[in-house]
Order: sequence, then C-alpha cells, then structure tokens
Amino acid sequence: MSIELQNIHYSYGKVKALNGVSLSVGEGATGLLGPNGAGKSTLIKIMLGFLTPAEGQGKILGYDVRTEQKSIRRLVGYMPEDECFIPGLDAVTFTALMGELSGLPRQEAMKRAHEVLFYVGLGESRYRLVDTYSSGMKQRLKLAQALVHDPKLLFLDEPTSGLDPTGRQEILELIGEVASSRNIRVLLSSHILADIELICDRVVIINKGEIAATGRIEDLKMVNYQLYELRLKGELNGFRRELQEAGCRVEETEDRLVKIYTPPGFDRRRIFVSAARNGVQVRQFVCSQTSLEDLFARVVGVD
Amino acid sequence: MAEVREKGYHHWEGQLRESGLVFWPITRTGIKLAFQRKRFKFLFALSFIPAITFAVGIYISERLEDFKFMAQGAERTLQVNPGFFKTYLSLDFIFFMILLLMALGGAGLIADDFRHKAIQLYFARPLTRLDYLLGKAGVVVFFVGLLTLVPALVLFMLKLLFSGSFKFFLDYPWLPLSIVLYSAFLMVFFTCYILLASSLSKNRNYVIALIFAVYYLSEIARGIFYVIFRSPYSTLLSIPGNLQRVAAAAFQVKPAQAVPWYLSFLVLSVFCLLTFLFLRRKLRGVEVIR
Repeated sequence: MSIELQNIHYSYGKVKALNGVSLSVGEGATGLLGPNGAGKSTLIKIMLGFLTPAEGQGKILGYDVRTEQKSIRRLVGYMPEDECFIPGLDAVTFTALMGELSGLPRQEAMKRAHEVLFYVGLGESRYRLVDTYSSGMKQRLKLAQALVHDPKLLFLDEPTSGLDPTGRQEILELIGEVASSRNIRVLLSSHILADIELICDRVVIINKGEIAATGRIEDLKMVNYQLYELRLKGELNGFRRELQEAGCRVEETEDRLVKIYTPPGFDRRRIFVSAARNGVQVRQFVCSQTSLEDLFARVVGVD
Repeated sequence: MAEVREKGYHHWEGQLRESGLVFWPITRTGIKLAFQRKRFKFLFALSFIPAITFAVGIYISERLEDFKFMAQGAERTLQVNPGFFKTYLSLDFIFFMILLLMALGGAGLIADDFRHKAIQLYFARPLTRLDYLLGKAGVVVFFVGLLTLVPALVLFMLKLLFSGSFKFFLDYPWLPLSIVLYSAFLMVFFTCYILLASSLSKNRNYVIALIFAVYYLSEIARGIFYVIFRSPYSTLLSIPGNLQRVAAAAFQVKPAQAVPWYLSFLVLSVFCLLTFLFLRRKLRGVEVIR
C-alpha cells in the first residue's frame, strides 16, 4: 500500500476538517473527490507532514506521517493548488533547485530539470523567467517541479484549476501518462469529476471531513445503484411516489427524460408493474451507464 | 554517443542524497538572485571603498618617510593598532552599505516566498525549518562576511606584509580572533535583523522601509531619551550605538559612553534569540488560520 491512514482527525480551531478518516491507496491513480471544503487539501497536507493530525496514525510509502516526514517528502512529489514559484528564476533553474532540494546531485538536477520541462511542454521557454509565465505555463511548471526527482508517489491538488479547456486537456494527458507509468502512484485531488473519471481507476470520495465512499470507480457505480432512463406518457405523480417509497430516486430532465436510480437488489420489473398500476405508458426503457457525477451526487447528497 | 530516447516520461536512475548541506542550494540561489538585481553589483563594488582606503592607509603608515611631503602629522592619525580595525568594522558607512545591499538583495528572502507562496514548495522537500532558515541566513552571512570579515583579515595580512615582520602579530596576538568574533557577531545580528524584517511583510518595499526605519529610528529614539533623561543608558536603545560598544569591547578600545559593553551585547543577543524563536514559529509549510 502506498497510503494507509487510520482514524485521522484534524480541526482548525472549532471547525472539524477531518473526522476519523481511514483509507488505503495502492497502485495506479486514485482520485480524491469532494466538494469545496470537504477536507481534501487538509488530508494531503497531513500526508506531507505540513499538519500534524490531532488523532490517528498513518503511513505513506511505509513511512510514518508523524515521525518520518523527511523520508516521505523525499519520495513524494507535490503539485500545490496555489500559484506558487520563486520570482527572478528561470524555469530550468527553478526546477533544478527543487530537484536539488529533494536530494538530486547538482548536475543531475539540472539535467533532469531540462528533461521534465521538455516533458511538460515548456522546453522552448525553459530559460524564461517564471514571473512572465501564463497561468497554464505555471501549472505545467508546478507539475515539472513535482516530477523532477522522479517521485514514487505524486500528490496533485486541483491540477487543472484556472486552465482553459485545451490546457486542461493537455495537463490531464500528461498526468495520465505519468499515472500509467510504472512505479508512480498518483493521488489526484479535485472537485472536477470529469478529470478524475478520465485519469483514475479508483476514487476516494470525501465529504464534510469523512470518507463517503472508496473503491474502484466501476465497482462503486455498480454497487450503489442502477440507473434507468425512461420516456413516459401519462400522469407521473402516482408512479413517482410509488417508486420513491420503494427507495428509488426519480428525476425528470428538461426534455422530459425520466431518470430512475434504483437501490441495490431492486427488481427492475417493479418499474413496469408500477407504471401499469398508475396508467403510465412506457415508450422507452434504457439501462443507462452511470457516471461519476451520478455517484458523487448520490454519495455526497447533492443534486 | 548520445542516447536516443522515446518521447514521454522517463524515470531517473540514481540514488537521492540523504544528507549533506541541504540548505546550500537555497543560499546559492539567494546570492545569485541578489546579484541579478539592478545596481546591486555597482553598490557591492562601492562598499569596498573603505577597505581600499584603509589598505592604502596601512601602506602609507609603513612608508611614512616616502610620503612625508604629503602626510605631515600622519604618525598620529595613521597608527595601525586594534583601534584601526575597530574603526573599520564599526564604520557608519559599512553599516549603511550592509543595510543598503541587504535591502536590495535580502528584503525579499522570506517576503517573496510568502508573497508567491513558495514556502510550501520548499517544505514539500525533505527540508526542516532550520534548513530553510540556514539557507536564507547564508545569503546575509555571505554579504556581511564579505564586507567585514574578509576585508578586515586582508587588512591584517597587509599590515604584516607591508611591515615585513611578525612584530604586529606578536604585539596583538588576539587581534585575528577579535576580528573573527566581532565579524561573526555582526553576521548573526544582521542576519536576524534582515530575516525578521523580511518575514514581517509580503511586500518587499515595506520590508526595505522597515530595514532602514527601525535602524535609524532606534538612533533617533536614543537621542530623544537622552534629552529627556540625560542618562548614558539611553544608548542601549540605539542599534548602531550597541554595535559600536560591542566593537569597542572586542578590540579593547575605550567606548564613547560609560555603559558596560555586556549590556549592549545582551540587548542585541536577546533580539537575535527572539527573532530566531519568532521565525521558527512563523515558518510553516502551510498557513493555518484558526
């Protein structure tokens, strides 16, 4: 396991940010998903040793989060959410400095800085001052500094924030390539569901400082519910009420498509029985592919 | 022959260092950034004028016969003794140049990291707060050392060289140690002073104002208190005054005021200690607002 946390608690004064978080993360890319203020960044900062948990224990790559923070940081790459850089340095000097501080020998750090800057697409502008970079370039630079020492585990905190659609796509492709590379595990924290769905095969959903769901995305979608999309004709009130009483969630879109989220073990034939009983005509019935958005809405309890 | 590699991400085949001078890359970068600033190199060169003047003074003092025609009465003024070195190391011009150079090259040492949120980048590496502080302190130590310790030791060597004997050394065998200790004291004090100022604001212009204001306001405060209380102890409020008295003690020269030197030393040392404790508390990988 690359990350193992047990019963982590953390508070900012009276505000509880994390309340008994326990999770295990293994190989590959894992998404850390949650609404703003859910505790994602706090969790990452605890794993990096910036914050000390009030309770609980954990290991990152086999090192204790309370006592072996230096060893953790040597093996971890961190791409912060904020726009951060050292003014007055060009990109290659900045990246090499970060590599050197991680333990790379000076010449190797410089060589590696050139490599990762080319990799993230800043090869042509690597001698420009970082102060003059656009937001998208700064985002790439943050990824480069996180990769320069070839970490075993990469923490990415909102890596696509502030990017235009093209820039976002490009950054996600780079992260996807790193994540598929052997020996690098990625923990991608985001509240943008599409980013996580594109990159990660596993997800940890955090809400109000607690783990709301965790596992393989495909499994979670299957376990939590089935989604059916229907086109109906007739008076729907009785039909809707009957299904809701049976534990289903019924939504109607603007173009009158009815979505029915059924709980685990629900027999879909009951939909037809209910329709017949309420005089509703079923004109289309599709067993739909559920998205991460559906799962997230369900788990976090928002529309 | 160069290796042909496929496009994409490549792992680094090597072993990361686990020990060594981890703060040195921060110091080296800080020095490099200081020299990149406008007019810094010119001012840096200008700050060696006193050292050159004192070197000329040493040369003339050893060749008084040759310079008799232009240096009448110089026997009295050009006496190279511990007081000569004390004068050099506590010159107002040297202190002013230290402040000026550090205002240009040192004001942003911590302020810029706060402003551009770079602190978290440093602390996401295997660095402790002490490593970070040592890295930043190294920049100030480097420049203060270049303006004090190095020229003073060179002047001492020049004195031996021009006199052609070790008599001066035998007369004052403790002098090199005094130079080293007092210069080290200046390095520690100015490092704490500059880093404290730099950590108090995210705006380097405010930091520059603070560096000069506190230094010279302390002297004004001394004057005001002296006028009111007529006490020589009011001099303890003055940063340059305290530095002068510690210098006088280090070089065994009679101080201007009859205030014990250890009180000045204590005032400046307590300031340095409090600064260190403050910085250790203030510097964190993440800003926690409770």
